[in-house]
Amino acid sequence: MPGPSSKPDKYVGIDNDLFNGMTNIGKTIRDAWVFELIPETETCSGWNLAGIDALLQKVNAEWDKYGCLVSRLPPELFERHQRIHGEAVEKARSLGWDGEYETYSDQ
Amino acid sequence: MAKKYDAGVKEYRETYWMPEYTPLETDILACFKITPQAGVPREEVAAAVAAESSTGTWTTVWTDLLTDLDYYKGRAYAIEDVPGDDTCFYAFVAYPIDLFEEGSVVNVLTSLVGNVFGFKALRALRLEDIRFPIAYVMTCNGPPQGIQVERDIMNKYGRPMLGCTIKPKLGLSAKNYGRACYEGLRGGLDFTKDDENVNSQPFMRWKHRFDFVMEAIVKAEAETGEKKGHYLNVTAPTADEMMRRAEYAHEIGAPIIMHDFLTGGFSANTQLAQWCQDKGMLLHIHRAMHAVLDRNPHHGIHFRVLTKCLRLSGGDHLHSGTVVGKLEGDRDATLGWIDIMRDSFIKEDRSRGIFFDQDWGSMPGVIPVASGGIHVWHMPALVSIFGDDSVLQFGGGTLGHPWGNAAGAAANRVAVEACVEARNSGRELEKEGKDILTNAAKSSPELKAAMETWKEIKFEFDTVDKLDVSHK
Repeated sequence: MPGPSSKPDKYVGIDNDLFNGMTNIGKTIRDAWVFELIPETETCSGWNLAGIDALLQKVNAEWDKYGCLVSRLPPELFERHQRIHGEAVEKARSLGWDGEYETYSDQ
Repeated sequence: MAKKYDAGVKEYRETYWMPEYTPLETDILACFKITPQAGVPREEVAAAVAAESSTGTWTTVWTDLLTDLDYYKGRAYAIEDVPGDDTCFYAFVAYPIDLFEEGSVVNVLTSLVGNVFGFKALRALRLEDIRFPIAYVMTCNGPPQGIQVERDIMNKYGRPMLGCTIKPKLGLSAKNYGRACYEGLRGGLDFTKDDENVNSQPFMRWKHRFDFVMEAIVKAEAETGEKKGHYLNVTAPTADEMMRRAEYAHEIGAPIIMHDFLTGGFSANTQLAQWCQDKGMLLHIHRAMHAVLDRNPHHGIHFRVLTKCLRLSGGDHLHSGTVVGKLEGDRDATLGWIDIMRDSFIKEDRSRGIFFDQDWGSMPGVIPVASGGIHVWHMPALVSIFGDDSVLQFGGGTLGHPWGNAAGAAANRVAVEACVEARNSGRELEKEGKDILTNAAKSSPELKAAMETWKEIKFEFDTVDKLDVSHK
């Protein structure tokens, strides 16, 4: 009989994620804020994987409208994107994140 | 009159040390770095290496009277000091071409780096370089397509190509994995790549991955109007299974597949390369396990030898190291084996660690892949060092972009095009890199964000495997 899984089945919330969400899930949530799929107060704390995955599919559908590129966003969305992601990067930096962290797993 | 058979033990140098020998154009030549046991004369140990890597095991019985030992034996013909290291020396050995099966890197390596590496008279042994004579080169298939044909297949000219390894972070499902590939390709990459550890594990079986990745390629091609590819890793537990995966990749229209040539083995690699040549597919080669063989400066096989063996066995891309970045290698040595990958004739050049002239004739070249720990700030140097016939592969330098995969890809694409344009107009990339990128970022918020993410990062680890002249 399998033992208890060490894998969490609930998301910790973007504010409790690594570097305040400098992760794939964190980026998805911020994009969902940009596209107003969820309110900016929603951290997704307690969501299960299915919930996160469903949100990802919605975010992907929004990005598809703009060729996945920030530079193709209309002005209003572009500004929201800059504000939301800019604040996230600033917060992450204050927690010790930098680009070097992102290349750790390179070979 | 028949030769007389004498029982007893002879010193190796009586038979295998031949300083008067002039190597033939058809000989396979090898340079070994030998660290002998204390008290063993250089000539004797060099002769022993020549013997034990050729006909040494044939000579203890009477069969040497039946075969022409003088023709088939390896000949140690020269010895040189290793600059800056008194513990070892170089020994040069010539092998007659007929000692080896035609078109078989496997056979060559079985002799040259076989039992001899466990020989007691040696403390350590390293195969530094091989000269494959053109007569032997012509018996091998080589790269399936080669550089020019790849450019024609991919319809990409005049710049390095861009790639990115998709990391299976968070246990990506095949569908989400395909989406990450699409975003990278849509953002401007030419290729995405399976991580070498991704074969067909329970969390993502190969067929599901292949299907979703192919969907990503088709979608990205339709939206960008460019040809795209993904290195579908067909490395498998058996050669039959590897071929089954390759056949399926071909069936669904993939332009390129991937193999790990050292863990998969040269026999499987050669089989796959020949199949790719027949099917018109490109073959990307990863080099997992190479550091086990090539990192110790006194023991193993130098990467330039592995590079030559891969070019003979077959592959269109080979990971080469980056010169810059987290996983940097010695610059001159790296440039040496990049020449070995791409050029048709490489002149002996000790300053690049090249011990022999190497003539590849018309055998196609292999595209070097710079991968590992590189990001957008490295782009000017990478374009300058590697030139156009290369793949610059940014993993974390793409996926780590704070805005996501497509933004990371777009940043790298804008950067490479800016660097190529600057180079083509006569600017010095490594001196003016910052200005070139800063100017390009004015029209690309993705590049601007990337430059802010990776600014001022310096990696200053010392290189372990330096050229011998740099040791000590």
